[in-house]
Amino acid sequence: MTPVRLFGYTDRISVKPGEAIQFYVSAEGTETAEAQLVRLIHGDQNPAGPGFVEQEVACTANGTWRVERQFTQVGSFLEVDDPEGRLAFADSFTLFAFIHPTWPASGKRQTIIGRWDGDRKQGYGIGLDEKGCLQFWIGRGEETVERLAADVPLQVQMWYFVAATFDARTRQATLYQVGVGNRYNGLLGKVALVDYDSHTSAIFRSKPGNLASTPFLMAGSRGRDAQQRACASELYWGKIDRCGAFDQPLQPAELDTIRSGLVPAMENLVAFWDTSAGYTDRGIGDLVVDVGWHKLNARGYNRPVRGQTGWNWNGFTDCFRLAPHEFGGIEFHADALTDCNWTSTRVVTLPRGLKSGCYAMRLRSGSGTRLSEEHVVFFVRPEKPQARIAFLFPTLTYLAFANERLSFDHPEREALTGQPAVLSDIDIEMYMRADFGLSTYDMHADGSGVCYSSYHRPIMNMRPKYRTPSFDVASGLAADLSIIAWLDQSDFDYEVLTDEDLHRDGSAALSPYACVISGTRPEYYTERMLDATEDYIAGGGRYIYAGGNGFNATAGVRDGEPWIVECRRRDDGYKPWISRYGEHYMATDGMRGGPWKVLGRATQKLVGIGLSSSGGGRSEPYRRMPDSYHRTVSWITKGVDGEIIGDFGLANNGAAGLALDYYDRALGTPPHTRIIASSGGHTDSYVVNQQLVLYSYLGLYGSYDWRVHADMTYFTAPHGGAVFACGSVAFAQSLPVNNFRNNSSCVLANVVEAFVRAGRLPGFAWVNEEKQWA
Amino acid sequence: MLPLEYDRSQDRDIVVRDRFDNFRRDFLRTLVTPEMIEEHRRSPLGQHSERLERLLIYFRQRPLDERYAVKVVEPFRKYQVVRLSGHRGTSPRVVDEAIYASANEACHGLFLRCIRDLLEA
Repeated sequence: MTPVRLFGYTDRISVKPGEAIQFYVSAEGTETAEAQLVRLIHGDQNPAGPGFVEQEVACTANGTWRVERQFTQVGSFLEVDDPEGRLAFADSFTLFAFIHPTWPASGKRQTIIGRWDGDRKQGYGIGLDEKGCLQFWIGRGEETVERLAADVPLQVQMWYFVAATFDARTRQATLYQVGVGNRYNGLLGKVALVDYDSHTSAIFRSKPGNLASTPFLMAGSRGRDAQQRACASELYWGKIDRCGAFDQPLQPAELDTIRSGLVPAMENLVAFWDTSAGYTDRGIGDLVVDVGWHKLNARGYNRPVRGQTGWNWNGFTDCFRLAPHEFGGIEFHADALTDCNWTSTRVVTLPRGLKSGCYAMRLRSGSGTRLSEEHVVFFVRPEKPQARIAFLFPTLTYLAFANERLSFDHPEREALTGQPAVLSDIDIEMYMRADFGLSTYDMHADGSGVCYSSYHRPIMNMRPKYRTPSFDVASGLAADLSIIAWLDQSDFDYEVLTDEDLHRDGSAALSPYACVISGTRPEYYTERMLDATEDYIAGGGRYIYAGGNGFNATAGVRDGEPWIVECRRRDDGYKPWISRYGEHYMATDGMRGGPWKVLGRATQKLVGIGLSSSGGGRSEPYRRMPDSYHRTVSWITKGVDGEIIGDFGLANNGAAGLALDYYDRALGTPPHTRIIASSGGHTDSYVVNQQLVLYSYLGLYGSYDWRVHADMTYFTAPHGGAVFACGSVAFAQSLPVNNFRNNSSCVLANVVEAFVRAGRLPGFAWVNEEKQWA
Repeated sequence: MLPLEYDRSQDRDIVVRDRFDNFRRDFLRTLVTPEMIEEHRRSPLGQHSERLERLLIYFRQRPLDERYAVKVVEPFRKYQVVRLSGHRGTSPRVVDEAIYASANEACHGLFLRCIRDLLEA
């Protein structure tokens, strides 16, 4: 019997009461699911805290939903818009492309370009066979497909010019493969004794067939899934640069001309896709332009990666903005996914008067050990902001980590966390499945980093109860709900926002609120989000940075498509993979990828502290520092007995853990910042942030290097603004311990009370130095 | 990066790595004592002596298909030790029937298995 499984996602994650939201659900082993709207209050099941807490909410959509298994098209490719069938060649033709395969010997067939239906065996294409040899093939729907193969295999990560010609009169087919590697653009240099070139020919018995329904694809071809639904299959791993087609067989000299970079404007040029056309300094879209006569433009699916170094890149420039014509590479991966594109299961109009917060449609099916439960999560903003406090869910960070599988296939992960992975059933299931995509922490199977992640697919770390296997702690949404639960049990009136709102609305998203509280790891920020936060604080806003490793990494979000985030990885930061040189700039908006610190925007400059170190295993408490007794800030620790703060917590029994932030004047900590408390005694699993050191050397660990610690800090900002920074990802997970009655909770309550109060902040009147120490 | 599962038959550095690891294991075997095992049992995730940490660093660096992990049988109540496949899409496999009452105890069970592999290799 098929196990019952339910998975879902929504069209958008930030909505208001009374608005409609689309749910997309895929079910296995069942045709119905019981739906119940719930408000999520606490997400961490750790028995040392309140456990998982949700509240059922009345909604007209509650009840039985009909559900079905949905098809997911995985893999990136381009489809050409050719309504008149100009590419349905029935006679002579030529195909050409510059290619850079990243997994030639994948064991599976790959199509580079063509109009081929592999199921019906009709059409033509050029691609790679299972062993990585270039092939040209045609078919008319009969049993035998006629194939012409190169006699030299393609080398991984090397550029080639490839072309196939077919002369309908003589039935002669030729296949042309020439290496176009230079000193910079490929894996191997001139010294490698490798054959790159191949010229083969054959006489085919027939001409290609043409089905009207076959699309011309790049990086894939038409196939059928198990249910006979049309899909893209034989997907290609690698880059494709300029490519095109003629409706006559070109001669070798003409192909040589194209190989040199010139495409003759001949009458019989049917299409020429100039993959570098249409770039702007602020980004590249999904449309690949045919600059030939017929404008047969191609559109990307699962967002092929654009702006990549091309066949003619010579290493002098490192960004597509500087020399677009050298960055015509479009990169494809057969395991890429930016949208499941499922059929809508249900449109739900949310009840009016819904309290702002984190909600989910809880779906259940089966019973006992066969019970399957899914929480499809979204966030409800207020109809009109009214509360004094906003909690900002770091949804871009959820996206960056969504469905990561580091514990299974990143060789360095266990060394980084210092502990073995603790795998739950859902982690193993996600590792087994190929249909829900990867995170920006993973690598595609060809070894290239994944630079796009999306919430138009089920994602596990945006679920309550989820624990990150490599740290064995609740993380993502499940960790941030500890702050929601803390706010909920207090008397504070709050509303919620997401990164999506901040990116779209800028500081207008924050300005209605006296106090904004961040999530536990608000790591990924777009420029607009960073600017908005800085302007909010500088304009008198009061900000609580309730986490660590925040505001650290650049992220790109395209207007109108907030469900996809882009991350590129540079050599100057913590990174699970690294972008190739020249590919560090985001195709989304042209911003440089990697850490914000390198761009002159260290986290310290915004909130006083920034990443010092990270690790796993035991967390530690904070100790009060002398500044905490200063009368300008002594109100923060009012009610705290003794020196120790946070020697408990749901994340490894301490408030300082996982990722730690510290005060550093050299990185822009505002001059009058006070250090309220600091952690120490971290184990050697905690290592100094790579961005802070110039060399690697023995001794950058917890018991050797003083920088391995968290600082809890406070500073006042212009116009009555202020920032309180907690300094650690684990801090918020100390709040729920002992039913929220503890000294971490006490400190945070003191700060929130002061921040929401109208008028000046406590301590403002202590201006004479001699009276400032209690 | 090359593909995650490319053909390594021509990779000569595997020979070099294996030789390095053989020397390394010869030395690491001399570090294993009942006291060190007891130190790990008391605190699998704490600050460790340099001898114990050296062993743990080696275990954390083993190739993925030789790596162990802990599997949750019942959250916060039952755990077991599994071995990773090292192949995307292939599940880890359970190595024995032992059930541990906490993730920490399972970490120690995993450590004992690593020690056994080291001494038997």
